[in-house]
Amino acid sequence: MALFTKGFVPLIRTAEAMSRMFSSSPVCVAVQKMTRVRVVDNSSLGNTPYHRPPKCIHVYTKNGIGKVGDKILLAIKGQKKKALIVGHKMPGPRMTPRFDSNNVVLIEDNGNPTGTRIKVPIPSSLRRLGGEYSKVLAIAQKFV
Amino acid sequence: MGKVVATLAALAGCGVRTVLRAAREPAQRALLCPDGRAKPARGPRGPGLIVRASRGCSGEHWERSPLEERGSINEPVLNIDVLVALLRQENAKDICVIKLPVEIKYADYFIIVTGTSTRHLQAMAQYAVKVHKHLKRGETDHVHIEGKETDDWKCIDFGNIVVHFMLPEAREIYELEKLWTLRSYDDQFVKIPLEILPLDFIYTPTTDLEQK
Repeated sequence: MALFTKGFVPLIRTAEAMSRMFSSSPVCVAVQKMTRVRVVDNSSLGNTPYHRPPKCIHVYTKNGIGKVGDKILLAIKGQKKKALIVGHKMPGPRMTPRFDSNNVVLIEDNGNPTGTRIKVPIPSSLRRLGGEYSKVLAIAQKFV
Repeated sequence: MGKVVATLAALAGCGVRTVLRAAREPAQRALLCPDGRAKPARGPRGPGLIVRASRGCSGEHWERSPLEERGSINEPVLNIDVLVALLRQENAKDICVIKLPVEIKYADYFIIVTGTSTRHLQAMAQYAVKVHKHLKRGETDHVHIEGKETDDWKCIDFGNIVVHFMLPEAREIYELEKLWTLRSYDDQFVKIPLEILPLDFIYTPTTDLEQK
C-alpha cells in the first residue's frame, strides 16, 4: 500500500526489473539542457556571484548533447550568452582528459572569447577538431 | 595568381619568367620550396626561397624516396621567413613572432599581427591562405580562416605556425604577447579573483573503477 501513496508507480516495471536483477540507469550525456556548468575564464560575467548557477538552455548540435568543442547557450545572471564546452564529467574517447566539472568558456555571438585568460587546463584535442578553437587555445594557460 | 607569382619571384630573387617556366614544365617537376638553410636576408633580396628543378627526364616518372612519401602530408608548408616576408609586404604593423619551446606542444611559432582596418585583416588573411594553397602539395589539408564573422580578430592555424590578425584595440585587451612569452608569470593571471564555488557545488572525486 505504501507504493501507491507516493504517486503513480508502474508496478509491472518494478517487478520486471527486480526479476532481471540489474538496475537500468537513465541516458547519460555530457552537457544538455538544464545542466549546471562552470565558467572557467576570467570574464566579469562568469565570475561575479549570483544566486543561481549558470545553466545550459540550448545545445547547438543535431542531437541535444554537448561534448567538448560544442557551442551552447547559457542562462547566466538573467541574460543569455553563448559558450563553448571545454571539458565535461562524462568519460569521452580513450586518451582524452575527463574533468571533474563541466567546464565552459563564454564567447560572443561572433566567436570572440569574452574573457581574456583561462586558468583551468584545456584539452589539446580541441585543435584536432575542425572548428574555430584557435582563439580559445590562444588565451589558455595550460593544456592537458 | 599573377600577384602570387610576382611575390614568389621577388622572394626568390629571380625573374617572373623563371618562376612561371618552372611551374609550367610538365616533365620537369620544379620544386618551389622555401630553403630553410638560407640565412634570413634583409633588403631587396628575399629570404631563402629558391626555384629548384628536378633532374627527372621527360616521360619517366619521378621516383620519390619512401621517406619523403611518408612525411609529405605533415611536412610544414610555410616557412617562417616566407610568412614574415609576406606579412611585411602586406603592410602589417607590429609583427610579433614568438618561438615556442618544444614543451608547449602547440606549434613552432606564434605570430601576432596588427592591421589597420577590418578589410586589411581580411585581405592579409586571404593572401596568406592563397600563398599556402599555392605552396602546398595535393595531399596537405586546406587551411581555413577563423573569425570570419568577427571584425577585430582573425586567426589562421598552419600546423607549425599560428597567426593572429588583430586590430590595435583587441590587441590591447587580450595581450597575447604577454601570455605567450611569460606563460605562468603573466600579470593578468594574478588579477584573476579566486573562484567562489556555488553553494550547491558538490565535489565528488570519482575513482577509476567508475570509468568505462
